[in-house]
Amino acid sequence: MLLDSAPRDSTRPAGAPARTSRLLDAAYRIGALARHNATLRLRDPGQMISYIVMPMVLMLVLKPLYVRAVDGGAAQVATGLMVMFSVFAISLVGNSILSERTWRTWDRLRVSRAPAPELLVGKTLPLFVVMVVQQTVLLVYGCLAIGLPVPPNPVYVLLAIMVWAFALLAIGALLATVVRSHGELSVISDVGALTLSSLGGALVPLSIMPEWAQLAAHVSPGYWALSMMQAAVRGDAAGAVPSALVLLAIGLVAGAFAARRLARGWGRGGPM
Amino acid sequence: MLVATDLVKRYGTIQALDGFSLNVAAGEIVGLVGHNGAGKSTFVEIVSYLIRPDGGHVTIDGRPPSATRGEVGVAPQHIALYPSATVREHLELYGRLAGLRRAALREAVEDMSTMLRLGGIMDRRAGKLSGGQQRRTQAASALVHRPALLLLDEPTAGADLETRQAMLDVVKQRAGEGAAVVYTTHYLPELTELQATIAVARGGRVIARGTCEELLKDLPGEVRVTLADREEVSVSTSEPTVTLIDLLRRIDRPISAVDVRNPSLDDLYRSLAVHDAP
Repeated sequence: MLLDSAPRDSTRPAGAPARTSRLLDAAYRIGALARHNATLRLRDPGQMISYIVMPMVLMLVLKPLYVRAVDGGAAQVATGLMVMFSVFAISLVGNSILSERTWRTWDRLRVSRAPAPELLVGKTLPLFVVMVVQQTVLLVYGCLAIGLPVPPNPVYVLLAIMVWAFALLAIGALLATVVRSHGELSVISDVGALTLSSLGGALVPLSIMPEWAQLAAHVSPGYWALSMMQAAVRGDAAGAVPSALVLLAIGLVAGAFAARRLARGWGRGGPM
Repeated sequence: MLVATDLVKRYGTIQALDGFSLNVAAGEIVGLVGHNGAGKSTFVEIVSYLIRPDGGHVTIDGRPPSATRGEVGVAPQHIALYPSATVREHLELYGRLAGLRRAALREAVEDMSTMLRLGGIMDRRAGKLSGGQQRRTQAASALVHRPALLLLDEPTAGADLETRQAMLDVVKQRAGEGAAVVYTTHYLPELTELQATIAVARGGRVIARGTCEELLKDLPGEVRVTLADREEVSVSTSEPTVTLIDLLRRIDRPISAVDVRNPSLDDLYRSLAVHDAP
């Protein structure tokens, strides 16, 4: 229902099956959104850079302490700080989504042909890449400069990174749809990140924490991320799978909640 | 093209729409006027499928709004742009989301750039633009895919003359090409220039609809006679000519000026204010 003179897509082959055509259209829209959001993200790289550089510096400074304190100290300091600072990156996701409400642009996207899942995927895809890059850079740095053992199977590590990035993305999206302001998001993501990742053993090894803390660690996504990451670095696929499943479940629940809120225009007067 | 019947929308204790009905034909511009809170923006949001009505029906080209997503051009009342994205990036994003690709996309972006006089600012970021430039960018991104139904919610609010004229020109052009247009505004002379059908909203419903002449015919004009000693005699009347003749016959003092003012859209608006007053 566009005006007759509208310039239309002339690149699609005539007679293409409708379903394939719909999928291609959806992929094109997601691509357009991802490209747009990647451009915006690259124009404001400060926070991304700090979440990569800060853990690098801390790893270097804290390495001697960890090496003396626990067996496998190098692995602990590299994976622990990687997990902790990847949790901080939740605020990147949250701010990115929350800004759409601040700028009032989310409603304009909702008026477009892209349904809510496409909007969410297009919005978060660049952030997913950012998180994967952040974690990969930190682990490579860990191997090169901190003494983290080179993983026997890098594919396990990559899969673990992707699972963790997905869970973080979903948690960040959830936070963005429940907070009322950037300030509130900042408080929740910073305090939450520090608390949950510390409780999960990212800062201090669980083995030297009190028994109650070791039990409480199980409620922290950071605990499961650290277990999965350390198992993946060891090349222990069987050890990584349970934690990966927990994180996937957290990600799916949080993501479904966020998608539902976003589809309803979250925070608007009326439901959709 | 657009048929809205008996729409009802309530926000808590506030009745935003209370039996709002409005039809807009292809090629028609309907100027939706009314005071703040009359239900104009709520109506636009329902037709855009941003909110769902509590009652009533809307069809666009015979289909419900859920089936016409992306086929409607919506320029909301508030500026809704990405501060760090350029004007070109905005047009490309919304063009792509509507399915435009490659040469078609480039052509559509250039068209909008020309029509809304964005040529010199296409590569400037939205956050650095003036208010009028932002208005034009917002309208351009709503029109870039050439939708057959345009919902423009106060598109010239706070805009400069250049922006206003560019906006009116492009709306007239699109309507001339067959687009149905709903144009809400508080600047009533714009509707005269657009030769729009006028729908008056009050209390969540459309209380009057017609051409400018039809709506003004029952409103009083004003006859003002200024006497030589600067005293003024002013009469509100629905028959200014007859009243003037009567006044001139009765006044036996020297007259310095006579002013006959026919009712305008502003009078219509003011009469609404009187009706709305508690």
